[in-house]
Amino acid sequence: MSDLITLTATDGTEITFHTEVKAAGGMKDVYFSPDKTFVVAFYREDCTEEIRQRLEAITGLYRERIFNQAGGDYWKNIFCWPSKIVLYKNKIGVVVPFYSQDFYFKFGSKNGDMLGIKGREKEGKWFTSPSNRNKYLDQREIGTWLCQLRICILIARGVRRLHAAGLAHSDLSYKNILVDPTTGKACLIDLDGLVVPGKFSPDVVGTPDFIAPECVMTAHLKKDDPNRKLPSIATDEHALATLIYLYLLLRHPLRGDQIHDSQDAARDETLAMGAYALFIEHPVNPSNRINLNTIQDAELPWKNTQTLPYSITGPYLSTLFETAFVDGLHQPSLRPTASEWETALLKTADEIIPCSNPNCRQKWYVFDNSTAPACPFCATPYAQKLAVINFYSSYEPGKFTADNHRLAAFTNQSLYRWHSNRDTRPNEMLSQEQKMRLGYIVNHNNALHLVNERYEHLYDVAKKIAIPAGDSIILEEGTTLLFSKQHDGRLGVVQLI
Amino acid sequence: MARRLPLYILLDTSGSMIGEPIEAVNIGLRTLVNSLKQNAYANTSVHLCIITFDSIITEVLPLTSLVNLAIPEIVCPKSGGTFLGAALEFIHQRFNQNFIPPSTDAEGDREPMLLIMTDGKCTDTQAYEEAIHKIQQLPFATIIACAAGPKSVPDQLRQLTNTVIGLDTMDGASFTQFFKWAGDAVTSTESAGSSQKLEKSSLPPPPPELQIVL
Repeated sequence: MSDLITLTATDGTEITFHTEVKAAGGMKDVYFSPDKTFVVAFYREDCTEEIRQRLEAITGLYRERIFNQAGGDYWKNIFCWPSKIVLYKNKIGVVVPFYSQDFYFKFGSKNGDMLGIKGREKEGKWFTSPSNRNKYLDQREIGTWLCQLRICILIARGVRRLHAAGLAHSDLSYKNILVDPTTGKACLIDLDGLVVPGKFSPDVVGTPDFIAPECVMTAHLKKDDPNRKLPSIATDEHALATLIYLYLLLRHPLRGDQIHDSQDAARDETLAMGAYALFIEHPVNPSNRINLNTIQDAELPWKNTQTLPYSITGPYLSTLFETAFVDGLHQPSLRPTASEWETALLKTADEIIPCSNPNCRQKWYVFDNSTAPACPFCATPYAQKLAVINFYSSYEPGKFTADNHRLAAFTNQSLYRWHSNRDTRPNEMLSQEQKMRLGYIVNHNNALHLVNERYEHLYDVAKKIAIPAGDSIILEEGTTLLFSKQHDGRLGVVQLI
Repeated sequence: MARRLPLYILLDTSGSMIGEPIEAVNIGLRTLVNSLKQNAYANTSVHLCIITFDSIITEVLPLTSLVNLAIPEIVCPKSGGTFLGAALEFIHQRFNQNFIPPSTDAEGDREPMLLIMTDGKCTDTQAYEEAIHKIQQLPFATIIACAAGPKSVPDQLRQLTNTVIGLDTMDGASFTQFFKWAGDAVTSTESAGSSQKLEKSSLPPPPPELQIVL
């Protein structure tokens, strides 16, 4: 056991940690507290006034604004946020909470953990590579596609919160986000690199695979060159789009088989991620497709963009992928915001259905709006009863407008307030009461029933009957339900599939 | 064609907004516009007018339909005062020029809305106090003040409106819920006593909750 050292943090509290370096990042060495509730990460380089000011803002004002306002508690699970600063000689360090146990491998790799990764951090990179998942990881670590979608929701929500405060992460990547696919949890780490354009400049250019094309193209310029593009909210938006594509499709959106320089690998990389960056599924320009002949079996089905195109993520995400990787790839101002990603992911979550194949490894997929849905991952046709509830809202008396939002109603589906009231959205601001389930769907005697658990005024508009709490109604083609009498109450129209 | 709903957006570009406040304003503006565009009803009715203010008042975008609107990037000059009073005076003029009063044939505007994003450190306090009075005389449906930046001072804004919120806690839904559309309430004629007990006792027990979005 190494020696202990105690320092006084800038907020006056005492911080004790082991002097043994337990982990080393690109810029920092990490030390553990004896009780493993926090770590201290020291910058290797001498402290400058700029770093000090930035860390003071991050551990002070920015932190308080996020954690002490409405919904603040929610962020404790999403951000691993530095809480204090310690100074030692001319070095500066940050005190950061220890990661939750969910973010350490419980089983690790196959064959009795042949890679010896049990107990190590679950960096996202493990789970975004099909060959890692298929060849190495213990299958108990992998989770389902539903969990992958949930991870994306949490990442988008966290980035949305940073951006709403005017802060850019500057290095969003699968290295700086821990994930737990078994429960669908995600946590943003390395937040001491937050960037504020014009105020706190970035330490790093980012992580390869996630650096926006404009940054790659100008990386050779000096940091103070006016043409140099540095990490910002717009480059975070590129990294976020890339992360979501990676987590849902397990392939990189720009890594196809196009070669720009067969002699010089470094130049080829710079062009492929920079000036000539091209979406592998560009609808018009096929030059950067993944060549089917180069794919290994362990990379299937993910790398086959013909059998698993981005459209399997459903209409809302498909539109955003096009905006991010076709329109916005080289035009940063067009990229979707984190808030748009969050909204699209939430709407997609409502169209997820369970795969009818008990051995399917993904278990869930997005309903494809057809009369004969089938799992895109294992091709098994959907075999149970399915209905879709299409939502409408009223903005003028007696007139209902389609919300472009629907819920897949399969047996065991849950309904919440954010389905019945358009002004409620599932996010950090919800009260306990707003999180309560209001109803559910259950298959009984070969009919789908909607059971009212907590709706105050559930009303069948066509049959003109109220369905009080405790009662249920059979979902038939055209069943029209008013979910709430409140001003933002929605109407749902049922389609049977 | 739906009736026009003018939305005046007043953005602080004074020196104190440099850094994270102006970044938050740009994200807030994009979030607001994108969530309105996703709403089929807002898309055909909302018209935006964007005005920035520092020591100078600038109409960045005259009253324009939301359809095909390109969101401008808002930048701050290196320095400048916070002439919120003069800006409100400008809104007052624009309101009077633009407003089409409702008439019997259902033409005319819906009651306009005013949204302000500022850190609330107004420098022309006397003009501000005079302008508040004038603005409150206008038939705005809602006036929303968003306090921008970690050092914002919301108190000054409460003189203008009771609706003062932290810009950084806003998302698409929280913006759009301020839009109180006409006739939201649905009057349903419930027929008494016709509720159907659908063999409730024989239904399977409730499933565990399926919820992945929180």
